[in-house]
Amino acid sequence: MRPPIEYFFPPEIGAELIYSFIIIICSLMIYYATKEMYELSSYKGIKYFRQAFLFFAIAFFSRYFIKFLLMFFNVGEILRFSMMRIGWISTFIFLYSISMAVFYLLYSVMWKKWNHSQLRIYLFNLFAFIIAMMGLLGGVITSLLLIAALLLFASLILFIAYKNSKNSRKGKKLYMIYLLLFVFCILNIFDILIPTFLQVYQLAIYLASSLIFMIILYKVLKNTGN
Amino acid sequence: MAKRGKLDIMRDMLNIIRDNRNSIKPTPLLRKSNISSKRFKEYYNELLEKGLLKSVQDKKGNKFIFLTEKGLRFLEKYRTIIEFIDEFEL
Repeated sequence: MRPPIEYFFPPEIGAELIYSFIIIICSLMIYYATKEMYELSSYKGIKYFRQAFLFFAIAFFSRYFIKFLLMFFNVGEILRFSMMRIGWISTFIFLYSISMAVFYLLYSVMWKKWNHSQLRIYLFNLFAFIIAMMGLLGGVITSLLLIAALLLFASLILFIAYKNSKNSRKGKKLYMIYLLLFVFCILNIFDILIPTFLQVYQLAIYLASSLIFMIILYKVLKNTGN
Repeated sequence: MAKRGKLDIMRDMLNIIRDNRNSIKPTPLLRKSNISSKRFKEYYNELLEKGLLKSVQDKKGNKFIFLTEKGLRFLEKYRTIIEFIDEFEL
């Protein structure tokens, strides 16, 4: 008798896979749709914006795709990997990349006000590394508090910029989308570090996060003429 | 008149070359660009490095500046780039 499809493809993995696939595709489409503009102009704001979405793609690839590949193709057994070690590595890459994505997105709108400096990029990398290490080594509560505090701090900076936005309605709408994106990043991190945290709301969070990425992609495609 | 940004100055320099039948000497380009010679050198070198323009010397040693395909593409895409920067507050 053939085993049921759920044996190979549990529903929660299916939802995670579709969700991560949407985020990866949207992020990569944003990254490549803005490639020519950056190559022509070398404009720093476009560079940071693109890098933010590249890091989003890496984050979701490491978190869900690796998990899916390991489970579906049983790569762990084939290559005799320690599943736990791979879990640690993918969590580290996810936390590091998602932190860098948030920092870069924030920097893409703030770099002019903060006076561009390479030191700031190094600091972002350092903070992202600390966050990722805390996520692995620290207690769950400590790391969650640290991550939430940092992301909330980033959101606060964005909120102040949103309040002072000269670009009236258009700018305020954009800041609102970014704020929501940051909130969903926090929820995604909670979802990974405490798998039971979202439970019934998980699907709603996945849908809302995907929708935000699709809105940003739509705006990008509309404005790049693609 | 509002202060020109970096992209505006790049656009203006490339436009000057294009409007001059895609061939101009450095001195008239500097004069028409309306920026200091120090800044002109910076922009000129950056545009050369990025491959948006190229310079050729004739047999008499006169230097001429031309737009490249990439330079023309920049002018075509300029409005889109500016609108994108404005839309995402970059």
